[in-house]
Amino acid sequence: MGFLESFKIALASIFANKMRSFLTILGIIIGIAAVIAILAVGNGAITQITGTFSDLGSSTISVSTSRDATDTQKITIKDIKALKESIPTINRISPNVTIQTVGSSEGKTKTTIVATGTSDLQYTNQMMDKEIIYGRYFTTTEITEASKVAVISADTARSFFNGRENVVGEKMNLHGQKGQVSVRIIGVSKSTLEKMVGSFIEDEMMGYIALPITTAASLDPEVTKITSLNVMARSKDDIDATSKQIVNQLATRHNVPGKNIYTATNFLQALDQVNNVLSLIINFIAAVAAIALLVGGIGVMNIMLVSVTERTREIGTRKALGATNNNILFQFLTESVILCLIGGLIGLTLGAVLAVTVAGVLDITAKFTLGSIIAVLVFSSAIGISFGVYPARKAAKLDPIEALRYE
Amino acid sequence: MIDLKEVVKIYQTSGEELIALKHVSLHIAKGEFTSIMGPSGSGKSTMMNILGLLDRFDGGMYHLNGQDVTNLTDNESAHVRNREIGFVFQSFNLMPRMTLLDNVGLPMVYGGVPLKERRKRALEALKKVGLADRVSHRPNAISGGQKQRVAIARAIVNRPVVLMADEPTGNLDSKTTLEIMKIFQELNDAGTTVVMVTHEPDVAQYTKRIISFRDGQIIDDQPVSDRRTL
Repeated sequence: MGFLESFKIALASIFANKMRSFLTILGIIIGIAAVIAILAVGNGAITQITGTFSDLGSSTISVSTSRDATDTQKITIKDIKALKESIPTINRISPNVTIQTVGSSEGKTKTTIVATGTSDLQYTNQMMDKEIIYGRYFTTTEITEASKVAVISADTARSFFNGRENVVGEKMNLHGQKGQVSVRIIGVSKSTLEKMVGSFIEDEMMGYIALPITTAASLDPEVTKITSLNVMARSKDDIDATSKQIVNQLATRHNVPGKNIYTATNFLQALDQVNNVLSLIINFIAAVAAIALLVGGIGVMNIMLVSVTERTREIGTRKALGATNNNILFQFLTESVILCLIGGLIGLTLGAVLAVTVAGVLDITAKFTLGSIIAVLVFSSAIGISFGVYPARKAAKLDPIEALRYE
Repeated sequence: MIDLKEVVKIYQTSGEELIALKHVSLHIAKGEFTSIMGPSGSGKSTMMNILGLLDRFDGGMYHLNGQDVTNLTDNESAHVRNREIGFVFQSFNLMPRMTLLDNVGLPMVYGGVPLKERRKRALEALKKVGLADRVSHRPNAISGGQKQRVAIARAIVNRPVVLMADEPTGNLDSKTTLEIMKIFQELNDAGTTVVMVTHEPDVAQYTKRIISFRDGQIIDDQPVSDRRTL
């Protein structure tokens, strides 16, 4: 007896009891749909995250000093200048420095405004997803000469200047812990987010004001002892070499070669780690959902056992007509595999619809992989076989006389 | 054709031994039309199961169509059943979800006959029993007598050497019983060996030989003297 015959017999039997077949595979449908939807939405989310950050971070290197670094081992503004000049693959470089200050303007005082010290405002803005909407960036001269200039965010401008955004040319006083400085505002920036949704979201709760790092030093001299840098390499391919050069040069300049005071990490590596954790979580949730499949499989086994009992006479007759034990085994096995495969296909469709819907609500793109689709089909067949074997063997082993006598 | 020597069948039921067949020897030649009769518990059904290779036995020898079928594996006896024996049951045992044509073709499925030839031969067999116009019906759409005719078509479709019918008219009224017996007689006239279990003496009168069982033994074996023909 060929496969086609078993297939036809199985389909006939499945469609003879449509409702029962459907209820039987409901567990499989739900399980597969859940797994597919979770994987598709999860992978879509990961792709989205990776995509968003890799635009920005694909060529970004984070340089940091170890906690044990002494003051003399910390990175200086001179180091930054030297690195930029000696390593041609460095596209942009800027320290990460923030200082809490108290800002005031036109007699208006506002506690706590976070001042960011930078040696490359364009780069800093880019990293913070901000754009200049009025005025200009700092010039190189302004940075080296510690000019008293600042770029302020639009919402901070509004709160200091009675709701005005274009405050280029205005003055502001900043009081730091170790000193104070009066700066002239030369630019106003706005985050892309704020540009999109308007001023509903105060995206800078503490305010945002950017100063040349040299100027920031007059608020707090400590800021010149830099502990972290952001570096943008010329291209992705330069990342590894550039990282090494930076670490080596810093170690040489501070006379601590081979002591691991300086480390450079690539943003993508960090992202990879985040993605790995996310994948793990998603796969775990999917595995939990797969428990539904186990329950579904038991349902299939149950109904197959009922079916074997119901069809005892049929089995007896088939045996009398010349069916071997294997013919019978194969017939019932085929039936349970087809049942589970149908469940798998319906589940796949349902899961895809579910994934697209959920992804639509979350504003991401659901991502289906060929691997997961093949896995679903293989897995449903495996359920069909593993939960179908017992009933099928029971059918195959029936004594033909007993089976023919069965009422 | 059918040669049984000293066949013994013992049933074990809750520690007790029940000897269903006590050294039964039997010879049925090609072309015979034999009834097996006897009260229930006489061993006639056991005899039928052994003849049909549905059951094993505990002693003796069985040759069918020149082949020793005494000790066959499950698979071997399935193949012999498929090729050499045609079964007709009291309650027809048709597959309810299959068309009559597919029902008749079923033994050929297990015999590995290609679909096209299956169709052709099934149709021929249905013609022989007068149901060629009902090929695409399902069993629940036809009468009991017609069902049994389909079952007979199914039994002969693989051209077996012997047709084994177990109370084939047990579920039929007297008119349809005659129809069925007529078909058996026609098949027998055409050379098919038929063995039939029945408990109705009237029906047995349509066969050529009556073997009577009692307590696991043959107590009588006679040709039918005033045989009825249809």
